[in-house]
Amino acid sequence: MLWALAVCWPFYSYSDSITPYYGATNNAAANGLQWSMDSVFPSPPGLDVQNVIYNYTIHKPTNEQVDVSVQNKNALGAGYIFRETDTWLPGSLDGTQINKAVPVIPNIPKEAWGNGSITVDGNGSVSNARVIYTYRVDPCYDPQFDPNCPGYKIPIPNIPEFDISTLYDATEEDADIVQYEEDKRYKSEEELTDEEKKAQEEKEELDSKERLEKALTAADNSAMFAAALAQAQMLQTLALGTNVNSYYRVTISGGTYRESITLVDKQIPDNRNGRRNGLAQQLLHTKMVDMQYKK
Amino acid sequence: MFNKIALVVLGLLGSSYVQAETAPINGVVQSRCIIQTDVAGTYGNPNAYTLSTDPQAGGEPVVIRYDVSLADAYYAEITAPQEFSSSPAINDTLTWSGDTEVKAVSDATGMGQYESTKIELGMMDRYDLTATGSTWFKTSSEVTLGGNKAFPGGNYTALVLAECIAK
Repeated sequence: MLWALAVCWPFYSYSDSITPYYGATNNAAANGLQWSMDSVFPSPPGLDVQNVIYNYTIHKPTNEQVDVSVQNKNALGAGYIFRETDTWLPGSLDGTQINKAVPVIPNIPKEAWGNGSITVDGNGSVSNARVIYTYRVDPCYDPQFDPNCPGYKIPIPNIPEFDISTLYDATEEDADIVQYEEDKRYKSEEELTDEEKKAQEEKEELDSKERLEKALTAADNSAMFAAALAQAQMLQTLALGTNVNSYYRVTISGGTYRESITLVDKQIPDNRNGRRNGLAQQLLHTKMVDMQYKK
Repeated sequence: MFNKIALVVLGLLGSSYVQAETAPINGVVQSRCIIQTDVAGTYGNPNAYTLSTDPQAGGEPVVIRYDVSLADAYYAEITAPQEFSSSPAINDTLTWSGDTEVKAVSDATGMGQYESTKIELGMMDRYDLTATGSTWFKTSSEVTLGGNKAFPGGNYTALVLAECIAK
């Protein structure tokens, strides 16, 4: 018995996933007499509206006619995708409710249901409006939803297509010629002359030096960056270690600081050793001055 | 030889089937006027000597739905209660009042005038069901015990009579 249940259970649970199910929206007119369907319908694709169920209370003078329309605009075109008009004739009383379920033409795509509204034409108003959409959801609207859906196709990987004629074909006659021309650019070591061998060796040596230089440059750069980084960290550490608080806490006593050095002898004699030098400079100065007067 | 035997058999058959027989004709008529109780009423007890279905008194009126699938063929006759179907013993007179009105309709044009064209005969209200669809009727009831005496404690039940009368 348990074995049979275990065998059957996956089958039933699997088929349940593709069984159409039914539901109903919340009150679309809960926040007023106009509403957007984006916030009313649930998200799954394959949603098909079955009925529009609405009720409201009419308020009108007894002797007047009032027309009330419950409607949804056609989001994919002009006009309305759904419209139901109630004509309240003279004699119908204020405060009467209407409870109505209106079937909808099946297979209208969800995207066609535009904004909904309740409009009143005449001297009247409505209150306690409630609009509910009942719907049916077909999970197999997209056949790829489940392998059990009718029309399901095994997914094929998207392989890019190439023009074969543009691809290289080594078996083609022209390809051999092209390859031969390519090969002709390179000679084997035996085919090279002494001059060509020397030139090739020099070129290889030069390339080798250049590669080594680049590698060293890269290493130097890395070392330089590392050293700079280490130095910055060290300075930062030193700066953190310096306690500058003591400088801030020093208090300088106020008052007047008077000159404490007193010059005892007021006459300062000339330097005897410098007299000669000073005289020489004076003579030179006088000579230069006299030169401009051509004395 | 064959002819004689056949005659004898025929004679026997003819003599044995001389009797009466009846054949039934069965038919089922689906009612085209269905009555449902949508809301069972409740009596509130605003004071000791009054029972009322008024929501402000703590009660709730009865709501009865008529589903009619044949237009202009029936009357709805709804009678508010005039006695308790079950209650404690009451040794005084009861004063009953009641009313029925259209609460809701499923067709504004065809049923919107039901309330203004109804006929009231005492506690009974008669509506001409001229359109197909559903009509919700609300019946309220109030009863007062004579001399402002207090109702005895217990359960009280009264019945609203709703009928669909063919024209």
